[in-house]
Amino acid sequence: MLVDFRPHSRLRGTTPIDITTALVPVVEALSEDSTDLSKVRLVCDWVQYRENFRDVVELRPILAEPERLPAGGPVIEQVGVRDDDMEVAVDVRRSGKVALKEHTAELLREHAGGGTGGRVTLEEWGPGSASCIWSFNARYWADLDLWEKSTGRGYEQALPGGESDARNHDAARDLIRKLFAVWDPLSDNNALPEELYVVELGVGNGSQAKVFLDEFRALDLAHGRGYYRRLHYLMCDYSQHVLDLARETVCDHLAHVSSFALDATRPRTSLGFLRYKVFLVYISNVYDNLPTDEVAQLGGRTYQVQTRAYLPPEQARALAGQANTTPDQVGALVHKLLRLGPALLAEAAPANFADTDAAVTFWRAAWSAIRLEERYVPLAGLDLYEIAPEVGGEMLRPLLESGADVRMHVNNGALASFVDSLQLLHPFGKLVCHDLFVTDVQSYRSHFRGPGKYDGSVVNWVNGPLLAHVGRRHGFDVHYAPFSHRSGGNIVTMTAQVRD
Amino acid sequence: MSAPRNAALMGRVPLLPTTVVGSYPVPEWMERLKTDYYRSRMSFAQLTDLHEMAIKAALRDQELAGIDIVSDGELRRDNDIDYFLARMPGVEIPQTAKDFYFDYYEARVPAPLPDRFATAPLGLADDFTFTAEQTSGPVKFSFTGPFSLSRRIHDSAYADQRELVLAIARVLNAEAHALAERGAQLLQIDEPFLAGYPDAVGTAIEAVNIVTEGVDVTWGLHVCYGNRYARPLWEGHYDFLFPAVLDARVDQLVLEFARKGYEDLPVIEKFGWDRTIGLGVVDVKSSEVETPELIASRIRSALELVPAERLVVNPDCGLRNVTGAVARAKLAAMVAGTAAVRAELAPRITAPPVNDIAAASESPTETAPESVARGA
Repeated sequence: MLVDFRPHSRLRGTTPIDITTALVPVVEALSEDSTDLSKVRLVCDWVQYRENFRDVVELRPILAEPERLPAGGPVIEQVGVRDDDMEVAVDVRRSGKVALKEHTAELLREHAGGGTGGRVTLEEWGPGSASCIWSFNARYWADLDLWEKSTGRGYEQALPGGESDARNHDAARDLIRKLFAVWDPLSDNNALPEELYVVELGVGNGSQAKVFLDEFRALDLAHGRGYYRRLHYLMCDYSQHVLDLARETVCDHLAHVSSFALDATRPRTSLGFLRYKVFLVYISNVYDNLPTDEVAQLGGRTYQVQTRAYLPPEQARALAGQANTTPDQVGALVHKLLRLGPALLAEAAPANFADTDAAVTFWRAAWSAIRLEERYVPLAGLDLYEIAPEVGGEMLRPLLESGADVRMHVNNGALASFVDSLQLLHPFGKLVCHDLFVTDVQSYRSHFRGPGKYDGSVVNWVNGPLLAHVGRRHGFDVHYAPFSHRSGGNIVTMTAQVRD
Repeated sequence: MSAPRNAALMGRVPLLPTTVVGSYPVPEWMERLKTDYYRSRMSFAQLTDLHEMAIKAALRDQELAGIDIVSDGELRRDNDIDYFLARMPGVEIPQTAKDFYFDYYEARVPAPLPDRFATAPLGLADDFTFTAEQTSGPVKFSFTGPFSLSRRIHDSAYADQRELVLAIARVLNAEAHALAERGAQLLQIDEPFLAGYPDAVGTAIEAVNIVTEGVDVTWGLHVCYGNRYARPLWEGHYDFLFPAVLDARVDQLVLEFARKGYEDLPVIEKFGWDRTIGLGVVDVKSSEVETPELIASRIRSALELVPAERLVVNPDCGLRNVTGAVARAKLAAMVAGTAAVRAELAPRITAPPVNDIAAASESPTETAPESVARGA
């Protein structure tokens, strides 16, 4: 049996994890079970998100056969160094607070019997990016006003620190001065385009845009080059409603602002006319909220992490009570909610929900209850896995080729957005992104990086080394640095600009 | 620059001859293997074998597509710079291992480059010979020009950047002589960095003339806006080349138009360029394959300004950054589009008798490979 205790730093300090209560009962339950211990991986995480998708203990099957096979020829089996068939995952932040041994033993019995323990399954197995949790995520942004009304707080208050870094004036001034430093020599050589484009993806309430435009106008006045007159600021967001609100926020600058409703993963669908013309693509706290798969290298083999959303039996019963229905009907109601939104759901299912508020209450409870089962499915070849349009699975090879065990995010949505955005950049342009980045692969071996829940949305840290690698293969240098205008946070600034 | 030579070369190919600019796609598997070499996981002999097989395949692709003047795809080169600098006497490469074969070396010149060479030090003539032996058709052989090579050097030897550029040009001139002696008939100087330094065009042309000095072949000069990772490095217009480029002793100006549009073509004519233009009709920075009709329309538009006898049809730049399938499709479309326009023009003798070629074109040296001497 292999034991991988990832949050090892928490074994020391003023309140160290008591391993005898947080882990040993799991080992005892395994020892007393008939499971082949030589094929078990026991992994321990510290899941820092109070709201997350994990149970305290989870059993994850490790499949032997890939789902998708290459065409023609024999399937080449990966040569591994272990033959594990099950992973037992423990959240040691919570494991000391439950009857761990009994809980684990029950899970092992269910697993051996092929049962589900009364869970209400919401979907079939699939890659993480295909899970319905992303439909919840999209619904949250689409009906943000209803959610905020229900919780009584704005979404920014749900962020760590209670404020988006997007409205930081020092950061905006720094960025603008760097733009001027690029533009001045181009202007001197008569090589600066008449129109100076800046694109913001994920505009939120427009406060970043306002800070940027206010500072830009003031700095340009002092600089005396007339750049503000030539500036075109393009606010882009998934939601037209959000864009309308953002336009009100930047009402002083409307002559210089356009807004586009678009999917952040495919900005060129609306902005293709700006190919190679944009001097700054600005993104703040968007990538961590886009769909992602995970891959794992375990015992010398490469796997895709597949997930399946479910509601635990107790919570399914509670939800059924809320909606005047039976637990086996809750799944259908959840999907109807995701499709229609709470307002229309209340109209479509009056027998279940008295009004929109009731539907929102159901939504919030379902979101709080939802969990993800996981399993590992071998990848028959990296070439069979498309990460994003025009980004093949081979891009993962440098991060996996050491053969050492690691499980990491692929951040498919973020990569798609990143690669598509790079196509917009002027030869002297740059992409600046503030977000939760993992900046070295080793960090995946010691910290849990998601998914977690931020209010009604999903959060995953972003695989910085993967984005850097993909960026390099597109001719860009990608650098990471701690967000320099606020101390103590996890936010990292990624900068991508043409290399060489 | 040699008018008879150029006429001889153009006489071997149809009106509106099709060609490539130079580079050809490097498949992902080949990138991995080339990178393995730079990580000491593959021997040089294995790498050489890999390159030679890839070059044969690239030539075959071009021939199947119907390209009139083919190239080796620059497949031996890790990028447009390092292959030359790593072999150039006086250039130091402190770190020769690479994370990825396509990355640039950090090259430096701590002392003036030696100005005398017993032989051509870069070995380009051997590369050409191999290619010429694999095909019976005309071959274009391209190499990066002195100005662009100089931009990737940390120079601590010369007080004036111009001196470094000219010193590199002298090395390339030796190479050009060796290439001509092996039978090369069409050489192309690539200056992918020049558009980023429009003020330096005078120095660049001065260097071009050193490279071509005494080398009696058809000379092309390719100036684009960069193609590294399929991205433009610079923006602007070709008017910066003029009037300096009129002094360049070259026969063909090979330019990028398909991506940028054809607005610069009248500018070039206005400045009095009366030699051949290599007309970029295929956007190499896009995977979208042009239709033959689109290619034909681009050529027809150009013909309103430039007579057919002065046009060569080619992609905007090298095809390195598209996939093999896309490259083949683009070349096939280019050939089909060109053929359609050619059919609309007055008939012309497309392949003069072999004796005429021999008369117009001096025989290659005695060491020239048979396939080159045989001609098309």
